[in-house]
Amino acid sequence: MTLFLIGLALVLAGGVSAVATRRGDGRRGDVLYQALVAGGCVAAAVDPARVLAGRPAVTLAVRATTPGGDWVLGIDALSAVFLVAVLGVSALCAVFGTHDLRREAADHHDGVRRPTWFAQLSFAVLVVAIALVVAARSVVVFLGAWEVMAIGSYVLIVTHHEVADVRRAGLIYLVATHTATLALFVMFSTWQVGASDWTFAALGAASPSLSAGARLAILLLALFAFGFKAGLVPLHFWLPPAHAAAPSHVSALMSGVVIKTGIYGLLRVLLMLGGAPAWWGWLVLGIGATSGVLGVLWALAQHDTKRLLAYHSVENIGIILMGIGVGVLGVAHGAPAIALLGFAGGLLHTVNHALFKSLLFLGAGAVYRATGTRNMEELGGLARRMPWTWAGFIIGAAAIIGVPPFNGFVSEWLVYQGLFAAGQSSELLRLALLGIPALALIGALALACFTKVAGVVFLGTARSARAAGAEEAGRGAIAAMLLLAGTCVVLGSLPPLGLALVTGAARALAGTSVVVPEAVVSSAWTISLLALVTAGLVSVLWAVRTAALRRRIVRYEPTWGCGYDAVTPRMQYTASSFASSILGMFGRLSGARVEKTALALHTHSVDLVLDGVALPMWSAMHRVALRMRALQHGGGRLHFYLLSILGALLALLAYLVVGPRP
Amino acid sequence: MTESPTIGAVVALAALLIGAPLVPGLAARAKAIATGRRGPPVWQLYADLWRLARRGIVYSTTTTWVFRLAPPVLVATTIAAASLLPLDGRGSVLRFAGDAVGFAYLFALGRFVLVLAALDTGSSFEGMGASRDVTFAMLVEPGLFVALAALGITAHDFSLTAMLGGTAARPAAGVVTPALVMVALSLFALSLAECARVPVDDPTTHLELTMVHEVMVLDHSGPDLAMLLYANALKLAVFAAIIVGVLLPVPRRGGVMGVGSLLAGLIAMGIAIGLVESAMARLRLPKVPLYIAGGSALALFGLILLLR
Repeated sequence: MTLFLIGLALVLAGGVSAVATRRGDGRRGDVLYQALVAGGCVAAAVDPARVLAGRPAVTLAVRATTPGGDWVLGIDALSAVFLVAVLGVSALCAVFGTHDLRREAADHHDGVRRPTWFAQLSFAVLVVAIALVVAARSVVVFLGAWEVMAIGSYVLIVTHHEVADVRRAGLIYLVATHTATLALFVMFSTWQVGASDWTFAALGAASPSLSAGARLAILLLALFAFGFKAGLVPLHFWLPPAHAAAPSHVSALMSGVVIKTGIYGLLRVLLMLGGAPAWWGWLVLGIGATSGVLGVLWALAQHDTKRLLAYHSVENIGIILMGIGVGVLGVAHGAPAIALLGFAGGLLHTVNHALFKSLLFLGAGAVYRATGTRNMEELGGLARRMPWTWAGFIIGAAAIIGVPPFNGFVSEWLVYQGLFAAGQSSELLRLALLGIPALALIGALALACFTKVAGVVFLGTARSARAAGAEEAGRGAIAAMLLLAGTCVVLGSLPPLGLALVTGAARALAGTSVVVPEAVVSSAWTISLLALVTAGLVSVLWAVRTAALRRRIVRYEPTWGCGYDAVTPRMQYTASSFASSILGMFGRLSGARVEKTALALHTHSVDLVLDGVALPMWSAMHRVALRMRALQHGGGRLHFYLLSILGALLALLAYLVVGPRP
Repeated sequence: MTESPTIGAVVALAALLIGAPLVPGLAARAKAIATGRRGPPVWQLYADLWRLARRGIVYSTTTTWVFRLAPPVLVATTIAAASLLPLDGRGSVLRFAGDAVGFAYLFALGRFVLVLAALDTGSSFEGMGASRDVTFAMLVEPGLFVALAALGITAHDFSLTAMLGGTAARPAAGVVTPALVMVALSLFALSLAECARVPVDDPTTHLELTMVHEVMVLDHSGPDLAMLLYANALKLAVFAAIIVGVLLPVPRRGGVMGVGSLLAGLIAMGIAIGLVESAMARLRLPKVPLYIAGGSALALFGLILLLR
């Protein structure tokens, strides 16, 4: 536990070092910052890694007389899984971010010269806050860290605050995150009524004596608050604008890690509550499937690379929730073996998504830095200009689609098995089988979406001068991307590794009596074999072809234009065209609005929840509030205002007299 | 789970790999005879593959390594998927719990690289074909998984070896229930879409604008094209093997009988495709979703019957 705290202190020191060295030429300060943050993350990850390796869980309590009681930190199997993912991804995002900020400061093509120290300090604070959220074992630490995390994210989202869209995205994010925090306050207060103090241990001990109503309230509030943070449909609306507005390494951290604290919160509540009723499991499973399908469908409608990736986070949160839903249902129906598969799948997908989504965001960030645009329709042909970024991006894309031998496959395979195992039982649980085609649909839509991004951005020929002049990212940025990509490949081709990572936490959730079936473990090894066989076949075929072509004529000619030889890059299939056939099938649900003219096809997307519900609701609230203001100002009549204060005080007095006694 | 593969399984896989090009050949021949022509010989595809394999290649200057990677990956993933099937009716070369998921996702990996290779050329025609291909795949995938789930429910195991092979505890051994017939029909309908055959796509069409799969491989030539053609034939053969497994349940086959029924299945598949192609034309694009949804609904009916 000490090493954990030392590590976090190092990360903070990294942030402070960025402030201290801000006057230098930047190079030495950058090295120091990267070394401190990355080194701190590695040091802090040692304790969680030990817990994952089978050491007992650790806690650390600090006696405090401040309101809210003792400050308790702890690392158990569940925290450890999240901490390892959080710290690993944070370190690499910090490295990428340093290079990205430096390059931005160097070319400052948006005309604004921005000091980097503030972004680096906020980033370090954010990383520490996330780690503390996951390690917190008392309400006061949890909520404190939660709030620092929320504000830290906000500060980073509005880095480019001179752009109106960025300020708007930040505001939407702030409203969303504070609504969630409010719900958390209510949830913990409801829970604490019967408990001795505000530690998680006390809340856990009090949970059997909770009344049915309190339990219901806690379950619904947890789903609402943590669901807001995780970005499940329909509470996802803050996510795409915020992720698009933030600097790339911050988007990577938010999408890979910050939204996962929502998943962590749900699982922690489940653990403290000792399970949830079946209806809640169905609710989570249903919301998961809905988020999955709608998230990827809406992603397909985007032409902004980072907005597209943000909607994919909604999709993947859906897949994670499907796993958790199966887990909850398994426990509720007394089938811990099914629960284990579901929880393990959900947890592993959380880790996997942290890896490949941050990788994809960093790739999109590298492209943005090189070209200055996030609009896919202006890109193209970058595979030649940015070969390393392309290598990382294509691995991330394959991983997110869930094809073997990449890590996304392993976790989806587990979720599929959980759904199928539930489908075999003889009870109502069988209906979970319907999750299988939903997951299949998600996978196929993700394939369509990522062939679109990868193909339109990186392949073909450049659609604009900016894309034609792109330059590869810096060495450190490439290293960060390739490390993430390498982890995706390792976890994908060695599935037992990922399984071992999450088994402890999944068992804690599903019931400690149950173990991972031998069949699943040995099957995980067979997947390695399958990956090896496939890779071997590919290399053999490649080698045979190379050998055969050595003595034959290989020519290089322009792409066959079907008889037309005045082809220009503008004639390539666009992202709009590529997606239009699928979007058309889903009609208005796809959120894409198509404008067809004789010469061009344009699609632009609206968010059905943000543009259809949230913004109209907020402007209605604004209108009502404006009316109310007349009461306050009273049109200059002070006596009316004083009268209303008096009325309110009288009403309070009356409540004290006739209301319930404490 | 990791018991070593039997010799029979390996022999059957070899038979499938060798016999696969028969399926498109038989389809073309059956179509020709049904429409009153003589048609090409059944082994036409073997000759085509041999001819292409000995040629040089013309690469588009726009393309990158993805374009060169696609054909080997497509062949490799299809072979890997085939190795998960209990082709001799008893056991498969590779087997693991939930390998039905691996089977479907191996095809997805092949599609991923093929679509990227099409987009790599920067040709609007190939982009159009790629867009259509992923659209149809999006429609086929849920139906395919419903069919697999239905088979899994029958076998109480989500592994293809148990679903289709002799080691399964498939109830009422030897009985083909109406639900299974529905699943088999659905798989046939979906395989036509998955393998780019009439009524979803027409491999013999000559106009680029009306193509789906063919237009994606427009820029491939020589050994690369041979690999793509072979992979497509193998995919058809794999679906034929699945349908054989559904309709000829345990306890049965193994050894010569197993390989024999597999080859008979390939021949039947080829002839069935040929008859479908002679009986109907390709559907208009907006009608394709209805066709695939119909095929998927059949599998769903089967699943509901099994869950009842």
